[in-house]
Amino acid sequence: MQVRLTQRLTRAAIALTAIGLTGITAQAETVRVTVAYYSDKTGPYFQQMADAYEKANPGDSIKIEVVNWDTLLQKLQTDISGGTNADLAIIGTRWLLDFVKDDMAEPLDGYMNPAFKNRFIGAFLAPGQISGKTYGLPIAASARGLYYNKEMLTKAGFPNGPKTWDDVIAASKKIKASGSYGFGLQGKEIETDVYWYYGLWTNGGEVVGKNGKAAFNSPAGIKAATLYKSMIDQGLTQPGVTNYSREDVQNLFKQGRVGMMITAPFLIGQIKKEAPNLKYGIAPVPKGTTSATYAVTDSMVMFKNSKVKKTAWKFLDFLFTKDPRVAFTSGEGFLPTTKEEAAAPAFNDPDIKAFVNLLPTARFAPTVTGWEDTAKAVSDAMQAIYLGKAKPADALKVAAEQADKALGQ
Amino acid sequence: MARTASGRPLTPWLLIVPSLALALFIIGYPLYNIVFQSLHEVSRFGLIKDFCGLDNFRKVMADPVFMASLWRTLWWTLGVVGGTVLVSVPVALILHQDFYGRGVARTIVMLPWSVSLTMTAIVWRWAFNDEYGMVNVTLQRLGVISSPIHWLATSNWAFPVEILVGVLVSVPFTVTIFLGGLSSVPGDIYEAARMDGATAWQQFRKLTLPLLRPFINMAIVLNVIYVFNSFPIIWVMTQGGPSNSTHILVTYLYERGFRLGKPGEAAAISLVMLTMLFCFTLLYLRIQPKEGEGS
Repeated sequence: MQVRLTQRLTRAAIALTAIGLTGITAQAETVRVTVAYYSDKTGPYFQQMADAYEKANPGDSIKIEVVNWDTLLQKLQTDISGGTNADLAIIGTRWLLDFVKDDMAEPLDGYMNPAFKNRFIGAFLAPGQISGKTYGLPIAASARGLYYNKEMLTKAGFPNGPKTWDDVIAASKKIKASGSYGFGLQGKEIETDVYWYYGLWTNGGEVVGKNGKAAFNSPAGIKAATLYKSMIDQGLTQPGVTNYSREDVQNLFKQGRVGMMITAPFLIGQIKKEAPNLKYGIAPVPKGTTSATYAVTDSMVMFKNSKVKKTAWKFLDFLFTKDPRVAFTSGEGFLPTTKEEAAAPAFNDPDIKAFVNLLPTARFAPTVTGWEDTAKAVSDAMQAIYLGKAKPADALKVAAEQADKALGQ
Repeated sequence: MARTASGRPLTPWLLIVPSLALALFIIGYPLYNIVFQSLHEVSRFGLIKDFCGLDNFRKVMADPVFMASLWRTLWWTLGVVGGTVLVSVPVALILHQDFYGRGVARTIVMLPWSVSLTMTAIVWRWAFNDEYGMVNVTLQRLGVISSPIHWLATSNWAFPVEILVGVLVSVPFTVTIFLGGLSSVPGDIYEAARMDGATAWQQFRKLTLPLLRPFINMAIVLNVIYVFNSFPIIWVMTQGGPSNSTHILVTYLYERGFRLGKPGEAAAISLVMLTMLFCFTLLYLRIQPKEGEGS
């Protein structure tokens, strides 16, 4: 009797161990994903996708970590140097080169078949490619357009928004006369440089030339900087521009106190939520000699040190199918990056279409090292110009020297 | 009892060896790591690349922003610490008096201490907003100014404003030190002084100030160390801008290390800062015993 009991117990123990072991092997296929916090919808969206994927692929598990944009790069840096990084991560595409240079990012071409590649709108796939290899998939994309206050601009004689910089000046003068600010000009913090690139590009200038050196110190650059400075001097912008970040200018626009500003599609959602009565329109970035706008993508990358690359890729594949894409892009107010998604009824909205129509003239941040240094040098130069501490030509010359020290290093 | 060759007992040393080793490790390892990083090329992700000698130091020193930030750090430290001590002495004297509602008054003075520096800085950033900030609105209502002042748009205003906020957040800590000091001053010497006909000012100059001196010294040293390394106020309010005109060393270090992805240069800057604080401490230790002899 006693012997039998012991035998049974042993058998039971072996069976339990076996179950435990299979449990462990199934657990091993855990894919960790670091995603950026775009809005309060980001976390729930990715969790939902993870649940849906786990249901379809029993045994695999997906772990989502949501990180704020401001601290994202720092977190990734810390994780990578400690060897505890996730398997997949969202990064700003402009950081990609650094990841590739340090051999952190896995080239994805081996996993992609032509059909997969063909899902994407070509222009959005290009920024994630470095020397012929694809390292990042465009998870989020946005372009910039000019928002205008319909009431103010109608009164000023431009009911469909300004077409050129001359229109902007003419409209701003009328708006100023009625007591509001004409053109909202960003003067501090992230993308202060980009706000000036709008003027640079539309006047035919370039930020980085074909030789990989700074090219913004050009007649077009001086023209753009002089244009902005003259608007400040004539009181056509909000006063104290160097105290306004992009969010601050957006707030002015939402409060109906500034006539025009250039920013990304996400302002549409904010206006709907915070200022539903504001009547606004979206126009292309004003033309100088040519049309241009700025487009940005964020990329999903796979880390080279991942031990579950196959499963990670399966999850990526799933994320870039139609329904998950539509849910993400429409939820966050971005632009569609895949063709199927773009055809979805969710993007039949005239505001989103206005942005999509701008894409043919869009410029992306070039994938060169030193882009952040260039941004910093240009932002500093702009602040000096806006404050009247330096002449456009001098400030741009200094900034170009600064940028050249870092570009392509 | 075991003794060393020189005849001193060995046991006390053996007893503190574990904690000494731990302390040495905790202080020593990061220091070693920073020195190591500052002498190497380091990628954005902390990958150590080639040995580059003093290149990181050379690059940093060659940057005019670094030198400007260095001087500004001295002004910042001097302004905040000096301002704090000047404000705290009278505040502590008042709070030391026995008056109705002293408890409430003490609590109010201490309150800023309990709020995180970052939060305080964010609140002041709002308060100094051009359009709807409390400061501009109040000044306009009072008729002091006719149009809003752009506080944080130019360094002429932004830096002094940041120093003011720095003083405000350092006062509670300093007042606490002074109150502790004042409570150790015996009351009878004032009585004696009054009998001898000393005025209030004389009592302050000849009695309070000398007796408070060790506490003032302590407040100065501790505040210098905190303020010199203080990051949140400037970063939250202006991020060192506009046009690098409000950078101090620690914000400049952060920007180099984390914005521009140059940990090697950031390590070099932090060593420069460490050296500066070290020199200050040495200087302070030099001055300290002399004052002790004097009193």
